[in-house]
Amino acid sequence: MLDPNALTHLKSTGEPMLTEPMLKQINSQIANQLNTGVLVIDDEFNIVMWNRFLQVHTDKATANIIGQSIFTIFPELPERWLTRKLTSVLQLNSPSFCSWQQRHHLFELPHTRPITTDSEFMAQNCTFLPIETDCAQKHICILIEDVTDVCHYQGQLQKTLEELAQMSRIDGLTQIYNRRHWQESLAQEYAKSRRHNKKLSLIMLDLDHFKLLNDNYGHQCGDMVLTEISALVSSLLRVEDTFGRYGGEEFAIILPETHLAGAMELGQRICTSIATASLNYNGVAIKVTVSLGVAELSDDDSRYEELITQADLALYQAKGQGRNKVCSAAFVTSFPLA
Amino acid sequence: MSPSVLICDDSNMARKQVLRSLPEQWKTSVQTASNGAEALSILRDNSVEVLFLDLTMPGIDGIGVLQGIQKLKLNCSVFVISADIQPEMQAKVKALGAKEFMRKPVKADILLNHLQQHGLL
Amino acid sequence: MSEFHLTEDQQDCLQELINIAMGQASDQLARYLDTFVYLKVPSIESVDAKDLIQTLSQQQNTMAIVSQGFFGYEGIRGEALLAYQEEDSGRIADLLGYEPDELSQDEQLIDISSILTTTFLNVFARQIDNQMSYNAPKLLPMVQNSLLDHLQQMTFNWDVALKININYQVTDYSFNCNMILLIPETAILNIKKVLDRILADF
Repeated sequence: MLDPNALTHLKSTGEPMLTEPMLKQINSQIANQLNTGVLVIDDEFNIVMWNRFLQVHTDKATANIIGQSIFTIFPELPERWLTRKLTSVLQLNSPSFCSWQQRHHLFELPHTRPITTDSEFMAQNCTFLPIETDCAQKHICILIEDVTDVCHYQGQLQKTLEELAQMSRIDGLTQIYNRRHWQESLAQEYAKSRRHNKKLSLIMLDLDHFKLLNDNYGHQCGDMVLTEISALVSSLLRVEDTFGRYGGEEFAIILPETHLAGAMELGQRICTSIATASLNYNGVAIKVTVSLGVAELSDDDSRYEELITQADLALYQAKGQGRNKVCSAAFVTSFPLA
Repeated sequence: MSPSVLICDDSNMARKQVLRSLPEQWKTSVQTASNGAEALSILRDNSVEVLFLDLTMPGIDGIGVLQGIQKLKLNCSVFVISADIQPEMQAKVKALGAKEFMRKPVKADILLNHLQQHGLL
Repeated sequence: MSEFHLTEDQQDCLQELINIAMGQASDQLARYLDTFVYLKVPSIESVDAKDLIQTLSQQQNTMAIVSQGFFGYEGIRGEALLAYQEEDSGRIADLLGYEPDELSQDEQLIDISSILTTTFLNVFARQIDNQMSYNAPKLLPMVQNSLLDHLQQMTFNWDVALKININYQVTDYSFNCNMILLIPETAILNIKKVLDRILADF
């Protein structure tokens, strides 16, 4: 544990700084006060020694474990895997490691935070070190570090990060995807469809006369309508479709592996469902309709933004033709100049 | 009488290491090559008696040189000095006619010992 | 040409030390894996930190990077990065002699990396009369720019890195990986000192 060169150092009085017995005592006291388990085994995996940390945490008498196989004393150890690992330490004469991130623990030891953590056992980082002594037999020192705290906080951090990531993707009012995430999804789907030569369609959807609705019934009614319509449209989609709030009362749906006819059919279903839905605000029945523009990715489109433009043009056409209807980009007659 | 010697290794340091380990009287008649192709052209044009050969070299490697020597039916004693010390490799070079296999870094006493064993000293 | 770049002689000397270390490490590995390891000359170059970050972050198909710190006497220390391509990760469990269900893919990568790094550096250290200790290897998260973040967060400053391209080919398996040793500036100066000491013997 300590550099034995210290043994050769002499004090000014000529006495040695450190004697062999002192060195032994210091080493054993350090080993026994460490907050890390120290276990030494021979090349047949029999226990040669351990420190107080392990004695306390296993609640076993030292006399009963010395000379016993590590797999007898710790039957929870994965024998085949660990044997291979220990063999590598002996044969390659190099250290080996096992982190809690891959295996929560190897040894079933209790930990000191039984209430705040969800695991029954101490999370561990284990290190396997080759040890050479004067005796011909090789040994392995196993260090068992308690990382229950690290594991616990890492888990909480992970959960929080996931919540944050989820929140950053979601529109607060409607609980569907926000525009930023929706657009990222479109970029990905665009790349995928180009790579695998698959169809891709898009629906842009806008509530009709939404401003009027807000003016007549108030913004809270408008919010209710946005939320209800979002839920209704969501219920009509497949899991692989991506539905997002594009702007105020404008929504957009990405339809992977869907051709124009399929997208038109879905658009019509959405249009009819909304027109026939009975929405209710403070006892007053509210009638809502939507206009939809549908487009399919064509070979000429070199950017995903062009798909949005196509669907938008179809949406304008639907609005122009009296609203509450679906138009296809394939039949858009007049292209306004950008 | 000192034999004509060729040391072939891509590393300058390794060549020096071999040179340093040779018997004093041999050191005057040593040629060097830094790759297999260079070694083969020297071997073809000169009567090299003793070759110290590295295995892992870019281009024609030590194995290539051994094969070349067999093909050209050259009469020279080859001592392989290599970092690649796997038993399969040692067996392979012996089968290709190498007198001895020595692991890098070469030690003078081992090298001299082998030269003696093969009656070169 | 900065003081951190190796001279031609130093480069030659280091190359030879690395060849020998590779040879012995491969021999150990071959015995442990019970197969023959085919050795190619490992290429060594010292690269500027900027260039390395760029090269590494541009490697599209890098599937995983495992990092492991090492430190020895005479101020020789650094971090080894082992980079794997997607096609190299398939049969590591097989190669290591584990049953595939005994360990996760992450653990397989960490395990093989640790074995490659420590066997190689142990022999290397012995040649320069040194001895290495190692940190636990860890898998870097493969989200975008994570390597960049990792390199920027490293505890030491480095301008120059030693890039050693190691190619392990095993008889029954084709297995490749790149080992990159990042050495901090001061440690490079220390290595140069060691190399000069060895060169002075010639």
